[in-house]
Amino acid sequence: MSALETAPGGAVIRLAARQIRRGGVIVAVLIAGMTAIVAATFDQVMADPAAAGSLEALAGNPAIRTLFGEPIGLGTAGGFTVWRVGSVTAVFLGAWAILATTRITRGEEDAGRWNLLLSGRITLPGTVVRHLATVLTVPAATAAGITGVLVASGTPMTGALIHGLGTGLLGLFFAATAALTAQIFPARTPATGTAVAVLGVTLLARMIGDGITALGWLRWLSPFGLMALSGPYVHDRVVPLLILFAAAVAIIVATGLTAARREVGSGLVTASTSRPARLGLLGSVESFAIRRALRPLAGWALGIGAYFLLIGLTAVSVTDFLADNPAMSDAAAQAGFPGLGSIAGFAATLFALLAMPVGGFATVRLGAFVAAETDRRLTSLAAQPIGRARLLGAEIAATAAASALLVTTAGLATWAGVLMMGGDLTLTASLRGVWNSMPIVLLSLGAAVLAVGWVPRWVGVVGGLPAIGGFLLLVIAESVATPAWVRDLSPYAHLAPVPLTGAGWPAIAVMLALASALTATGIAGYRSRDLRS
Amino acid sequence: MTDSALRAVDLTKRYGRLTALDTLNLDVAPGEVFGFLGPNGAGKSTTIRLMLGLARPTAGRAEVFGADAADVARAHRSLAYVPADVALWPQLTGAEILHLHARTGPGTDPSYRDELVERFDLDPSKPARTYSTGNRQKVALIAAFATRAPLLVLDEPTSGLDPLMEQEFRTAVRAARDRGQTVFLSSHQLAEVEAVCDRVGILRAGHLVEVATLSRLRALHRSEVTVSYAGPAPTLTAVPGVEAITENGDGRLRFTLTGSPAAALRCLATADVTALAVREPSLEEMFLDYYGAENGR
Ligand SMILES: Nc1ncnc2c1ncn2[C@@H]1O[C@H](COP(=O)(O)OP(=O)(O)O)[C@@H](O)[C@H]1O
Ligand SMILES: [Mg+2]
Repeated sequence: MSALETAPGGAVIRLAARQIRRGGVIVAVLIAGMTAIVAATFDQVMADPAAAGSLEALAGNPAIRTLFGEPIGLGTAGGFTVWRVGSVTAVFLGAWAILATTRITRGEEDAGRWNLLLSGRITLPGTVVRHLATVLTVPAATAAGITGVLVASGTPMTGALIHGLGTGLLGLFFAATAALTAQIFPARTPATGTAVAVLGVTLLARMIGDGITALGWLRWLSPFGLMALSGPYVHDRVVPLLILFAAAVAIIVATGLTAARREVGSGLVTASTSRPARLGLLGSVESFAIRRALRPLAGWALGIGAYFLLIGLTAVSVTDFLADNPAMSDAAAQAGFPGLGSIAGFAATLFALLAMPVGGFATVRLGAFVAAETDRRLTSLAAQPIGRARLLGAEIAATAAASALLVTTAGLATWAGVLMMGGDLTLTASLRGVWNSMPIVLLSLGAAVLAVGWVPRWVGVVGGLPAIGGFLLLVIAESVATPAWVRDLSPYAHLAPVPLTGAGWPAIAVMLALASALTATGIAGYRSRDLRS
Repeated sequence: MTDSALRAVDLTKRYGRLTALDTLNLDVAPGEVFGFLGPNGAGKSTTIRLMLGLARPTAGRAEVFGADAADVARAHRSLAYVPADVALWPQLTGAEILHLHARTGPGTDPSYRDELVERFDLDPSKPARTYSTGNRQKVALIAAFATRAPLLVLDEPTSGLDPLMEQEFRTAVRAARDRGQTVFLSSHQLAEVEAVCDRVGILRAGHLVEVATLSRLRALHRSEVTVSYAGPAPTLTAVPGVEAITENGDGRLRFTLTGSPAAALRCLATADVTALAVREPSLEEMFLDYYGAENGR
């Protein structure tokens, strides 16, 4: 290629890089950091030989395997780290890869910004592949980071490499999947939704394959399962990783072929060209905010509902097992899961986690609001006789209501699951438990609103701080035994384990007051700033 | 005293060190069609965004029928707006977007809206993602013209329309004036504001150079003519409307032409002209020629 031909390609890559560099750096650093911190705590946990033995025995319980993955190799720092954070970091990287890929490919195309790009000499497949390649630098950097910190922690080179590569390949797989769905569907939402559904279903396949021996083969069909099958530090198998790599390459090839077969702005599935008008929920800004939230709400409810149904279904087995093995309960408490011996305690522990996806949902919704402002869709509404406070207020109200529905869905699903297995959890207890996580969700929503008003480019990061950052802080603080005040910065540190105990009203009141203050400050900022467009 | 439809008082907007709009003072009377003419980057969109409260002024203020532009809930009850670069919710059809506009806006005449949909030849049953730039613009124009709002603010609304639709647009502007609506039309096309406007504000590099009458505007309007000839050069020096004659010496001649071309054509007829090219200079070139370079930012 001559210099003239390569120049526009380089420009495309630089454009793509500018759009993902901030998120990419955060993801890679967080994942490597979490891995390093957990690896460093191994000696502390294992100082007690009884704890070490109990952790090992956990492997026998199918429910534990279902929820947290097969705990193999817990006796080594490497194996312990993989079990403790491997799944979380993999899901985190996979989800980021999907969101980033569809955002900078289909999202930019949707907003009409690729028309200009593609009027030059670069083909559509060339543009798509360059964007994908740019996203892939993040899984690659993450793989290097994980491997590096694990080796630096003194774990064996091979295991570190297998785990790092597995995580990186999983990121590769989901970035490729998202690039493909972005070619198939003519809009960002179904493209993202389908790729996230693939993530959810394959994660579920791994869980079922881990839990039910007869269905163990399911793991060969799932990137998460293949990662588990590679068995870092224990089996150190390369074949599952090769399969994962081959699958990802096949998807990338399919992406290129699909991109070559469609026009800019359309998908392989063409949007229905004409349809009758559906005028429901278009009567006011408030109802329009609800209308826009309905589809994402349905998708998130499906995912969260499925996960908590699974929790409900396994709750009886886990708690029975732990009740029979008190040493094990202590071990679980040591590993950050206290009170698992009763269904109420088990449910309370997992209900607290609910604030993470739902807080994430609230943040994503406010992020979509800012995106609508940035690509000027919001301009026509802002030019109507509707004040800024009402415009943003409608979005906040719709998001808060949708979040409440999401946590309620989780409560109903858990209750139904426990009921089916003949366990003992009342509907009220379940609902009290899930509603207890709402203050943290509202903190995230408030933080996101604050960002909308003052630093709109940072909505994703600022909104994620209370619910997701807070949880990571708690895990890290408990792992490395930081001063108490560091741990107390996390809202999760102040969450009572409902329904095991009653709600901690003072803490809830403080969180709600804080959420209100954040929201009000955000609205004030939004009223006084220029719209971005 | 009756309120102005639009009023700017010392309206100023700075982006960092760039002054996008410098102390604009302007009154637009109710019922007039006011052209807001300026080359790209002059600050037209910035002015409109300030008047709509979409951006906050660095200094000064704007009023819509006496209401502070920042009081959007009140000011926007009397206006409809077509942005420069229309973006629509991709999943909604044209009909759904028009419905949303009508229900959240200052009041719409549904039968006139249906008529406009016909006249602008829009298929409202398609999702907005399938619309071209021109079609997106049509949706915004139909929504705005169909309102009963006393003020229409249009920011370069014809940039994506084909010539036929441009005619429909001019018809709709005249119909709006006949109904008594005020129109504030920003444009970088001299011909467009000449065709529909009563008065024209000329904006250059953030400064309002003058509020011109139409005859003043016609003086601005000039063409650049290049002729190739065999034999002796035609003598154009005394021909009315002809200025800035430059002879290239290779049998070609360039001059600018204002007003009627009849005299110049008669003169050229006496020479052996082998080719003739007429070019409309850009607005910036005309302004440079007319106002000189000293008004640059
Ligand atoms: N949000 C912004 N930030 C920085 N500069 C801006 C912004 N909006 C407009 N400008 C600058 O202000 C000047 C006027 O822009 P604009 O009002 O869009 O001009 P026009 O509509 O007449 O083409 C331009 O130089 C433009 O680059
Ligand atoms: Mg403009």
